[in-house]
Amino acid sequence: MPPMPPVPPPLCLKGVRTRLAVPTACFSTSAARFANPPPKRKGTVAPPKRGTRTLNVKKGKSGFTQDTGKRPVQGERRAQRKRIVLTNDNALEVPSLKDLSRSNALDAANEGRVMGFPADVVDALRAVDAFKPTQGWSLFRRPAALMRKETMQLVGLMKEVEGAAKDGQQRKTIRRVLSGDRMSGKSTLLLQGLAVATLRGWVVVNLPDAQDIVNAHTDYAPLPKSSPPQYTQDTYTANLLHQILKANGAILEGISVTTNPKLPLPLPANPTLKNLVELGMVNPEVSWPVFTALWQELLQPGRPPVMLAIDGLSHIMRESEYMSAEFTPIHAHDLTLVRHFVDHLSGQKSLPNGGVVLAATSRSNAPTSPALDHCVKVAEALQNSPDNLPRWDLYRNVDGRVMEVLKGLQDPKTTDLDVIQAGGLTKEEARSIIEYYAESGMLRHQVDDGFVAEKWSLAGMGNIGELERASVRLRM
Amino acid sequence: MPPRLNILSLARAIPYRTKPQTQWLPRPAIRTATPQFRAYSDSKEPQPPAADRSTRIDAKPLPHVSEEAAQMAEITGTEGPDINQGTPVHEIVKGDKEAQEKLPKVMKDAIKMESNSTPSGTRSYSTMVTPTGGSGGFDMGLVNFDPPSAPTIPGLKFDMPTLPLPKDGHVKHRYDPMVDQVTNLLMRHGKKSIAQRDMALILEHLRTSSVPTVNPNKPLVPGAPPPSHLPLNPILYLTLAIDSVAPLFRIRSQKGAAGGGMALQIPVPLGQRQRRRIAIQWILKTASGKRHTGSGKGSYAQRVASELVGVVEGRSSVWERRSAIHKLGVSARSNIVLPRKR
Repeated sequence: MPPMPPVPPPLCLKGVRTRLAVPTACFSTSAARFANPPPKRKGTVAPPKRGTRTLNVKKGKSGFTQDTGKRPVQGERRAQRKRIVLTNDNALEVPSLKDLSRSNALDAANEGRVMGFPADVVDALRAVDAFKPTQGWSLFRRPAALMRKETMQLVGLMKEVEGAAKDGQQRKTIRRVLSGDRMSGKSTLLLQGLAVATLRGWVVVNLPDAQDIVNAHTDYAPLPKSSPPQYTQDTYTANLLHQILKANGAILEGISVTTNPKLPLPLPANPTLKNLVELGMVNPEVSWPVFTALWQELLQPGRPPVMLAIDGLSHIMRESEYMSAEFTPIHAHDLTLVRHFVDHLSGQKSLPNGGVVLAATSRSNAPTSPALDHCVKVAEALQNSPDNLPRWDLYRNVDGRVMEVLKGLQDPKTTDLDVIQAGGLTKEEARSIIEYYAESGMLRHQVDDGFVAEKWSLAGMGNIGELERASVRLRM
Repeated sequence: MPPRLNILSLARAIPYRTKPQTQWLPRPAIRTATPQFRAYSDSKEPQPPAADRSTRIDAKPLPHVSEEAAQMAEITGTEGPDINQGTPVHEIVKGDKEAQEKLPKVMKDAIKMESNSTPSGTRSYSTMVTPTGGSGGFDMGLVNFDPPSAPTIPGLKFDMPTLPLPKDGHVKHRYDPMVDQVTNLLMRHGKKSIAQRDMALILEHLRTSSVPTVNPNKPLVPGAPPPSHLPLNPILYLTLAIDSVAPLFRIRSQKGAAGGGMALQIPVPLGQRQRRRIAIQWILKTASGKRHTGSGKGSYAQRVASELVGVVEGRSSVWERRSAIHKLGVSARSNIVLPRKR
């Protein structure tokens, strides 16, 4: 039997180690950890990483600095970004420009003409945020828009809604989704619809940008006694009430409250709808009950028709950015405002006094919503080539709630939910708008057939946004 | 002059000879064009067919139609066809089915093509482009798109252009030269598209800004239009601002010429493009030092535009730079040594 090796001591102590002849390594990393870091070797500095800024002390022309100016103050950037300018004092007054009015708004003879918006309509449209900063309003003396084919289609629908009342029946609720290429004028078409509705004395409720409802920038709270839980957005709703009041003040003032709504806060004696809306406006905590009470009032017989509109539909056809208590994303349709709109779009709720529900899609700011895209494609195909309908891609995840809401698009005749396709302008329409550009002094060229055809074809066969880019904006 | 050839008098098949045939068979029998190469085994001169080389008169083939007619005419003492001209084979065989059958394939095909020029078959597919927009029509809007017609002047492939050429006729010089120059100087890191966007924004700012009030102490270039015209013509506005502050010369420092290690400052005149370049660089430099008003893409363009307005209104510091250069130039003009006149 070989001799046993010396047994290591159970404790690692300095004194023990010095007395023992055999050096033993006890397991410890502290010495290495507490040791000073090795001195860096001088002269070997790693080159700067790609993309990082380095100090350029060279003098002379080569050291070019593009931006040495001070940064803008807080809030100024947002103000600049959201600023909407509707007038250009340098642009010439167009003598031939006629205004839309209550009497001629539904006139079919307006087709192909550029029509101005009267000042009060401009105020109302501004109040409901119908103008967008990217649109070219700031180039012309005052807002005006081309009454194109699709506009006349929309106006025809509004005429239909108004006309049905004369037979003593319940008025129609017409639902339309605006689709079309990028820059084909969908938002402007929506704006024209809002303008005509304002002129005809309708109540205009516009959700200016669907993104603002779902991007979790405003507060939210669960709606009491709702199952499955729904969520209200008090600040947003209060702001919406404010917009509704600004746009429809005269109408709301003339209607008194008849339904005796149960609200947490008292109303003044003999309240009008204006008093009701003001109550929700200044008290955000009751804004949602006030909104529902207002809607109930608008559904009473004898009230004006309603225009309910939204821009950027695909934002509300998916899950929102809000989170539930279980930290799962809240579906956009569980937000009360969105639910309200979607119920009217799907046809689950209708407007007995008549009305139009308009939803504009967007091509530049649109999150993916496969169900919406598919339904819109099917509805377009039903109009263009009914014998060749697109099929659902089985490998995509379907959002069942969205499909359920939009299934009317696949059967427009029975559900009265359809698309309006904003296509290219005809050459006559293009000529009309180009003449307006030239008369405003924003286009310095002789307008003849060759010029119109050139711009029309440069604009991708009359895409109105590209037409404006090609003729008015000096992009070269 | 009698007709070259009496077609009706021909009662036999026409021995038609397109060109001398080579004798070796492995080459393709039908040659549509003369070969571009010559084999080593070939003789330098193209050989006539073997029968032609025969010494026996009766073995020789009949001469060419026109040649035969010419020989006959010589015998009979009349005037025959001119042999120097080619034989119009198409004319000869026209209407003669039997003769047509004996023509070479190329000529047969040519006759067939002439008789019906429309293609026989139809495509099974469509090559038409369908529009995607809602406008409905099939008009693609191609402006003045005519297939190029045969030019009237012989020797030209296309028609002569109408003069004067349009201003934007050349693809590289289609835009205003000033706009081009400013765009190129705005460009950083070779990103011209961004520079073009900035340029468009600058012009848009100029056309929406209010009418400038011109400072009489800082006069614009003579012949400038009234300021009320400027916002409606933003390119003119830009040109006016830049031309007004453009210096007339630059100061060149000649080392050691003044003595005592001093540099001699000599004013050197500049061309128009050089003057503009300096003015644009001054304006861009001043604009980049201004306070930001917004954010994002339009921020720099907005500052440049407001600087341009400042130039026209006489508020800009660029004017001081210009006057400083000019003052220095006046004091240094004695340094210019002109060649002595004889």
